[in-house]
Amino acid sequence: MKKTQIGGTKRKVTNILAMLGLIIIFIAYMFPFIMVVINSLKQKRDIIKSPFSWLFTIKGLSFDNFVKAFTQMDFLNAFKNSLLVTVSATVLVTLLAAMLAYYIVRHNNGISKLTFALMVASMIIPFQAIMIPLVSIYGGTLNILNHRLTLIFMHTGFSMAMSVFMFHGFIKGNVPMALEEAAYIDGCTHSQTFFKIVLPLLKPIISTMVILNSLAFWNDFLLPSLVLTDKKLLTLPLSTYSFYGTYSADYGTIMAGLLLCVIPILVLYVALQKQIIGGVVAGAVK
Amino acid sequence: MRSKNNGKDFCMFALPGMFCFFAVVIIPFLYGVYLTLTDWNGVAKVKNFVGLRNFSGVVKDGQFWTSLLLTFKYVIFVVIIVNVLAFAIAYLLTRGIKGQNFFRAGFFTPNLIGGIVLGYIWQFVFSRVFVSIGESTGWGIFEVSWLSDPTNAFIALVVVSVWQLSGYMILIYVAGFMGLSEDVMEAASIDGASGIVKLKSIIMPLMMSSITICLFLTLSRAFMVYDVNLSLTAGAPYGTTEMAAMHVYEKAFTSRQFGVGQAEALILFVIVACISGIQVYLTKKQEVEA
Amino acid sequence: MGKKVLAKLVSAVLVTVLMMTALTGCRFGFASDPDDPNEESKEVPIDTSVDTFEYDGALKGTNITLLNTKAEIQVALEKMGAEYEKKSGVHVEVMPVTDGDSPYTKMVSLYNSGNPPTLAILDTTDVIALAEEKAVDLSAEKWVSEAEGYTTDINGKIYSFPLCIEGRGIIYNKAVIDKALGTEFDPASVTTQDEFVALLDKLVEKGIERPVSMAKEDWSLGAHQLQYIYETYDGTSDGAQKVIGDIKSGKMDLATYSRMSEFLDTFDILKKYNVAQKDPLGADYDEMAIDLADGKTAFWFNGNWAWPNISEAGAKEDDEYGFLPYFLNNDKSDFANQMIQASPSKQVMLDGQVATEKEQAAGKEFLNWIVFSEIGQQMLVKTCNVIPPFKNNPFEPADPLSRDIYTKVHEQKAFNSSAIVPNDHWAVLGAAMQKYLAGRSGRDEMISSVQGYWDEQE
Repeated sequence: MKKTQIGGTKRKVTNILAMLGLIIIFIAYMFPFIMVVINSLKQKRDIIKSPFSWLFTIKGLSFDNFVKAFTQMDFLNAFKNSLLVTVSATVLVTLLAAMLAYYIVRHNNGISKLTFALMVASMIIPFQAIMIPLVSIYGGTLNILNHRLTLIFMHTGFSMAMSVFMFHGFIKGNVPMALEEAAYIDGCTHSQTFFKIVLPLLKPIISTMVILNSLAFWNDFLLPSLVLTDKKLLTLPLSTYSFYGTYSADYGTIMAGLLLCVIPILVLYVALQKQIIGGVVAGAVK
Repeated sequence: MRSKNNGKDFCMFALPGMFCFFAVVIIPFLYGVYLTLTDWNGVAKVKNFVGLRNFSGVVKDGQFWTSLLLTFKYVIFVVIIVNVLAFAIAYLLTRGIKGQNFFRAGFFTPNLIGGIVLGYIWQFVFSRVFVSIGESTGWGIFEVSWLSDPTNAFIALVVVSVWQLSGYMILIYVAGFMGLSEDVMEAASIDGASGIVKLKSIIMPLMMSSITICLFLTLSRAFMVYDVNLSLTAGAPYGTTEMAAMHVYEKAFTSRQFGVGQAEALILFVIVACISGIQVYLTKKQEVEA
Repeated sequence: MGKKVLAKLVSAVLVTVLMMTALTGCRFGFASDPDDPNEESKEVPIDTSVDTFEYDGALKGTNITLLNTKAEIQVALEKMGAEYEKKSGVHVEVMPVTDGDSPYTKMVSLYNSGNPPTLAILDTTDVIALAEEKAVDLSAEKWVSEAEGYTTDINGKIYSFPLCIEGRGIIYNKAVIDKALGTEFDPASVTTQDEFVALLDKLVEKGIERPVSMAKEDWSLGAHQLQYIYETYDGTSDGAQKVIGDIKSGKMDLATYSRMSEFLDTFDILKKYNVAQKDPLGADYDEMAIDLADGKTAFWFNGNWAWPNISEAGAKEDDEYGFLPYFLNNDKSDFANQMIQASPSKQVMLDGQVATEKEQAAGKEFLNWIVFSEIGQQMLVKTCNVIPPFKNNPFEPADPLSRDIYTKVHEQKAFNSSAIVPNDHWAVLGAAMQKYLAGRSGRDEMISSVQGYWDEQE
């Protein structure tokens, strides 16, 4: 009896300690983000001379940067472009990757093995190495740059490897063959089996991949800057270009612009969080 | 799915995904490999086949090997710290402490700030915020900007990379921990296994698959570090923090030796492929079949 | 027991963190007035009533693109393009080069994508690298005669349009010096290195502890400072080319070349009085502008492109800022002690590879419009706020730095010499200069890295 009590206190103490440790690391993690929020409300001069100031005085706080960022970025148009590209590419890559991964897991043949090996290897190709070949093939030869569809297609291709990799692990560990066999006995076709039986089982990994991929597409700068040059097509990160000067940058507006860019992603994350974390069952990453 | 309809299955399930992947990644990559064998400078109309001359240019480029060595050093630090930290935090976040969802959201924030802005913010933190803390507290370590000293600038790079990468890895480790069945943990408690023993003999082996993935991801991302390198230090002070990927880019575009830069990128790729191949092989062996 | 200690430690750390934040917060706890009228962006009115430029009606409806690598004039160029479109019917799409991309990289990727800009604003080195293969020969254009002395000659042909003159030197804030000295400061009274040092010492004595700011950025050190050793050879571009050739071939020994040691002497002076002397590589560009405007410093080594920063830091257009030469020695008759360097820095190149004839004609017309139309002339100076290299442009720039250069150019107090160096010169030797600035290398090492750099060039 006594022993358990001691154990209980001990457990409490460790919990408190863990909590404290977490809080400290948490602050360290949040720090840059907090800096962005605070400084997005200040003028450049104050950002440089007194980065902390409004922690204790709210004098000088203003939303001017947000207004400026909003107009200069042509926010609504850029938002529309980003949304279109991100949503289409995310849906496309999630679906195609899930199907491809499913095929690879269930057909252990030469093509599967080779594709999978190539995909894993491709994850370490430096983007700089394919940047110029990519534009010369798609621009110089095929001449299909400057279309949102091309960007969606490229996003899909570039994130295919990582997505297949994650789906592959999940399907292998968490989707029992028995269920599918039962479906076949009931007379389901392959596609019916996949969409009705397998896909619902993938929910947890799908929500993880949706958040990771959409985040990557939403924030990506380098690839869209190569593909899109037409102003009407610019995505949110591209639209902040005018805040960067040759010799110095307009920090306040940059930070306000950054916040405007990430707010939609934050909303998505909060909405999906339950699915991602609550839903990720037994070894999502096997 | 074991049926005669193999061809149809392939077309429907595998082909669309494979097509995207091959068209966007593999073909440009192969074309890039071909370019390393020519004297093309990036803009000229003609390309002449020059064989391996670009590769001998790589051998002569001492700065490349220096930057590679520095990258190795950096990768070792980053991989170890990121994984230990992310593992520990993920462990704490799955023990059912109050507000763990709130914490998880917080640890996710590094993922929200990408690329160039990230470097600006950290540059600002190191060169302004820390220095002003140093001024008001008189602490020696913050007296001068970390970015103006080669060793400290290197540390700064590691710190920022750890901050950025661990946010991602926490997500994967958390998923892994959630996957450990309660039975295993309870059985371990009943057996009276103490914390450390539990961790070493029960949790670690079961977490090995998450560890494999996280190691692979941190390894490859650390080797490829470019954004943070460029926007935080840009190689400063005096070129001492230039990592391999940045050097490759500079070689191709600033020094305008496109072929040599492309060849260096290829060599970098082969090195990283070998190292992560070995890593995956070694850690896979440790995995417990669940 | 151990855990208790840990708990104490943790709480101690927490408290310290909180206190630190509080301390720094208090210390820097002032902020400026949010209603600062300075922030109001004012529009310079352009008089569009007179326009004698002849437009080619056949070009109506043509679309051309202009790649802009001078980010600070992006908005101004867009306005200019819109105004030109109103008159000519030619649409000019201004494409920015985004941060993190060098102009050259952008050009490479655009040419590869088969979608190069009709017009591209580039640095002179980039023009030289690309022109003969890609650009249209502009030697026969009408504006060439107006830009005498400012065009870039490549094997006898002119491929680029000089967009603006930029100059550099030691920027002073006259009000600060006046106040410190208690008398009116006459910039013309400083004519030699020793006189400059005497002035600095006097300022130190009067309480401006370290009166000089110098940027740690490699482009400032490697291009703007170090290139004085080539450009001051005799103050001409040809002379700069000659000395570079001699260094490369080994005919010139840098160790005995007087400009090399003179340059380092001056550099050492700036270094000695550097406001960031404790941590020269930690200096912050934006803070330098603020320090100069606030009077914490009196001098800043930079060029007229620094005005937007100084203005943002609170300086007004009628404040007196100007340039002192980069004094190299004590010889009053040496041109380097009397003149500042000013040369055309941004060049516009016209694509001849992909652009159609109509697009090329529209591109040519746009360039001529900038030079000859009353609207173009005004907008180049007032909207873009640059110093025009064209003799026929009657407008004067508005900000004090550009004004000073404009006056000096017209009074023969500026030398037009630009050294053409390989593209990685500023990066490689900028790093060597940083090392020297930080006191981690000596003169010998510095000089030998310059020599080493040239030895490696083919």
